[in-house]
Amino acid sequence: MAETYPISIWINEGRCKKLEEAGLSDMAKDVLAGMKVLQLQCTGEQKDEILKLYPMAKFDTATTESIELLPAEAKNKIFDLVIKRKNLDIMEEFLRSVR
Amino acid sequence: MGKADVETVCKKMTLANGTLWSIPIVFDIANEEIREKGIKEGNTLLLSYHDRALATLEVEEIFNYNKMEMMHAVLGKTDTNHPGVRMFNDLKDRFIRGKVTLVNIPKFNAPFDKFWYTPKQLREKFAEKGWKKIVAHQTRNVPHSGHEWLMKGAWFSANGELAVEKLQTGILVNCIIGPKRTGDYIDEAIALCHQKLHQARYFRDDIHMVSIALWDMRYAGPKEAIFHAILRENLGCTHHVFGRDHAGVGSFYDPYDAHRIFGQIPESSLDIKPVRILEWWYCPVCGEVTCFGLCGHSEERQKFSGTMIRSMVQDKVKPTKLIFRPEIFDMVTECADKYGFGSPFCTEEYLAKRQPVFDLPVL
Repeated sequence: MAETYPISIWINEGRCKKLEEAGLSDMAKDVLAGMKVLQLQCTGEQKDEILKLYPMAKFDTATTESIELLPAEAKNKIFDLVIKRKNLDIMEEFLRSVR
Repeated sequence: MGKADVETVCKKMTLANGTLWSIPIVFDIANEEIREKGIKEGNTLLLSYHDRALATLEVEEIFNYNKMEMMHAVLGKTDTNHPGVRMFNDLKDRFIRGKVTLVNIPKFNAPFDKFWYTPKQLREKFAEKGWKKIVAHQTRNVPHSGHEWLMKGAWFSANGELAVEKLQTGILVNCIIGPKRTGDYIDEAIALCHQKLHQARYFRDDIHMVSIALWDMRYAGPKEAIFHAILRENLGCTHHVFGRDHAGVGSFYDPYDAHRIFGQIPESSLDIKPVRILEWWYCPVCGEVTCFGLCGHSEERQKFSGTMIRSMVQDKVKPTKLIFRPEIFDMVTECADKYGFGSPFCTEEYLAKRQPVFDLPVL
């Protein structure tokens, strides 16, 4: 299986409520001391494109091996797409919308 | 530094007189500038910063050195994705050695004014506090519980041999203030959040103090770790914390290269002891931040990093107090409003409009 690279959308109260309303609470995983996160997987190509589109973002190679520091507006857009499609497999659609 | 020192630093990791030294400190200058200004040995130059006089430099030697050789010796890398490589590549062609004399004492602006000490002032401060052992913690980050754990672990290590009647071991947080990139925490947040750790009593205020150092990180991993040890020895510290991937960047160095290098130098070459701390994580079974060398639940471990916590802050999610103290989160928010133009991270606006760390008076 090809390697994937996660993006973490941390769940605050507002996002938790939206997930509950959409019946998607189960999608959020407990990853750190009870903190919940939606984890979306990117392919290697998607990861490289994201890092190019958002130069402030970085791939944390040292510890978590995840894509971090995406700007809030990008994270909000990704989260809204997950709610709309009721699916975590939306990275291609997200990238199409920001290219 | 002159050519003889640069050469031995690169080849033997010592100054020409044999003193341990790992990173050349050079004054670089373009050939054209030397020509245009007619600079020659025996001249005295006035060095300025933002068009204000800062120091004089008595030109004792003008020399060439192979920058690639210097870069390779310090970083062991040539990939331009390494920020240190870009820094060495940007050096001008020639170098000047000479005596530097400060002629204008910088005036530090708030909040940095209360964190700036010369080495002499710091040593006096340690004596005033009655500290016999001083643990240096180098940082470029707002502290999370992992950093707190590093400092506490090193404090135990340094304090172990001392009598129990009186606390004589202190922690000196030494924040690196230097060039910033967008997305980094703003300098004000770094210093004030570390101070908050003792104000909120996560550390006793008589064993913890915060200071700043002006330094451009080379991200040289092991060689920079040696340099940091020398720097803090000069400040009067007796111990230095070295965590996982100290002074590294990306995956250019093995996470423990900066630990291993201390085993490769004569013990007598440093008067400061490295405290090597292994990888830490949050363990849901232990219910605490713990460490690879202690916790047996490696399969259940939950890794976290400063970058991950920055992502949470950026998502406006308050991290659990187990990994990030609520008082620190509140201080980050306060700093964003007060100094960061609404963001705790460096933005283009912050970099363009921030108040300088220090000003130089008009002479």
